[in-house]
Amino acid sequence: MTTPTIPVPARTLASPFHWVRRIPMYILVLLFCIVTAFPVYWMTLSVFQPIEYSLTYPPPLFPQAISFDVFQEIFSGQDTAQRVDVWIFNSIILASMTTVICLGLSILGAFALSGKRWRGQGMFGLLLLMTQMLPEALIVIPLYATIDKLKMKDSLLTLALVDTAFVLPICIWILKNVFDTIPNEIRDAALVDGCNRMKMLWKIMLPISAPGLVAVGVVAFFHAWNEYLFAASLIGNRHLYTASVGLGSMISMIDTPIDKLMAGGLMFSIFPVIFYLMVQRYIVAGLSAGAVKG
Amino acid sequence: MAAQAAINKSASGRRRDYLPYMLALPIILYETIFILIPIVQQLVSSFTSDMFGISAVKWVGLANYDRMLSDKYFWNSMRVTLSFMGGTVIVAVGAGLIAALLMNQNFRGRSVARAIMTLPWAFPDLPTVLIFMWIFNPSFGVMNLFVRWILPIEQNPKWMMDINLALPLVIMIAAWKAFPFYGLVTLSVLQSIPSELYEAAKVDGATRLQSFRYVTLPEIIPTLMLMGVLACIFAFRQFALIFLFTGGGPARTTETLVVAVYKAAFNSFDFSYGATIGMAGFVAVFAITLLFAYLQRRQEAEAAS
Repeated sequence: MTTPTIPVPARTLASPFHWVRRIPMYILVLLFCIVTAFPVYWMTLSVFQPIEYSLTYPPPLFPQAISFDVFQEIFSGQDTAQRVDVWIFNSIILASMTTVICLGLSILGAFALSGKRWRGQGMFGLLLLMTQMLPEALIVIPLYATIDKLKMKDSLLTLALVDTAFVLPICIWILKNVFDTIPNEIRDAALVDGCNRMKMLWKIMLPISAPGLVAVGVVAFFHAWNEYLFAASLIGNRHLYTASVGLGSMISMIDTPIDKLMAGGLMFSIFPVIFYLMVQRYIVAGLSAGAVKG
Repeated sequence: MAAQAAINKSASGRRRDYLPYMLALPIILYETIFILIPIVQQLVSSFTSDMFGISAVKWVGLANYDRMLSDKYFWNSMRVTLSFMGGTVIVAVGAGLIAALLMNQNFRGRSVARAIMTLPWAFPDLPTVLIFMWIFNPSFGVMNLFVRWILPIEQNPKWMMDINLALPLVIMIAAWKAFPFYGLVTLSVLQSIPSELYEAAKVDGATRLQSFRYVTLPEIIPTLMLMGVLACIFAFRQFALIFLFTGGGPARTTETLVVAVYKAAFNSFDFSYGATIGMAGFVAVFAITLLFAYLQRRQEAEAAS
């Protein structure tokens, strides 16, 4: 308090019972945490407890016994078209291809948006915004018909190309945001030193933006990883199923044991949860920039 | 010196700078191939009759649109879409706001709580559907247990098989997954409010509620509005969650427009009719996007002044 003449309201004085007033807040925080964490806990529990505990009513709320048998089943079954590890492998291939294509294109787009304004930039921004907003389901029919005609169904590369079209705008916004934080002095200095602008992008801006590039990579990777609609309509060959389609097919088979389903779901979620929490800061900055500043 | 001169030249705009166009061109081409051309194809297809692989394509003019406007299931899907949109927007943005206000407080364990609350956002759609199908399973679901602790009911509810419960359930699940994002965005705005404003309010004798009403709220309302529109669009495009959780049922009570498009195309193989419903959806999305762009402009203008 630098100005002692201003009367300090009594309630700001620290009192031994200060925490009492905060109880409602703690209760709310706890409530939120339970609502968000319980489903995840419940899934994990049904994976690691023997299935008979899951199939009793009322179900026990805490683990009574632990078993890892289900992993043997989903990773080493006879039918490779039904194995979660094969699906996850396909998902990794698909997501990696999407990441590479998307990174290349979004570097160009972000660089175009991050320099001086140019005529038509507004239209370009609107095109990106429209693409970002467009529900996939609204163009799944013509895309399916065309790809079917071109005999390009059942290809992970085709799927990666389609997925890129939808995730590209958000990646461009994220990266533009990162590029914008590079001071103009650095760019100008590079140009004065005789770099042309592409060389400056390559030698100066990209190395500085490495964490942002990682964030873009994560977003692109897990967009393809999570995508269901196109994967389900464009991939018919069971050996090429991505994890999302594979799990979707498990849902529609009524007799799939619950521990197997949950184990598949858990395997499918671990990577995105870890990576999203790691690059959360960049994604939120980029999403809100793309969303709030399109 | 020459390079500096070149910069000055392009800055003054005497010479047209082609680099941005060269950079943007591949992206424009890419999105044209994968987004714009399919939209045009969709438009053309909506004027034809195209039963995929069953009959030859015929030009039928506006017949599909006629059929759509008198199709009670189409209007049903519009109603369901609106309820789903309204429901998720209110619940997700509202919960996000509360979460952001909580996370803006100083308390022990805040970073842990924040990580836990972000969890659903990182969860893919498929596992989300799996978890909640299991939690709300009418025979073994743990939610039966919780509900029967609170409500005096004899039988387990039928949850997603109940025509009155299915839509609210889908809304809750969609909001569960979406609210962390709105919370994180709101939090970043909350943290950018200068603390002098709060100190000034305190000096003026404002209560906590008053300082929320007169300091916090005016600062975050533009963001909340933008997020509301954004949430509408996200809700509109929500497919996998609804389709896998209920398949649009029971009795079409959760059949949103995108689900109707998919079912027309891939269950009935009526590509043209699906395309027609898709065009209706496209008009709706276009309108919402323009509203979004307008709100953004206004917010930027306000921020600039």
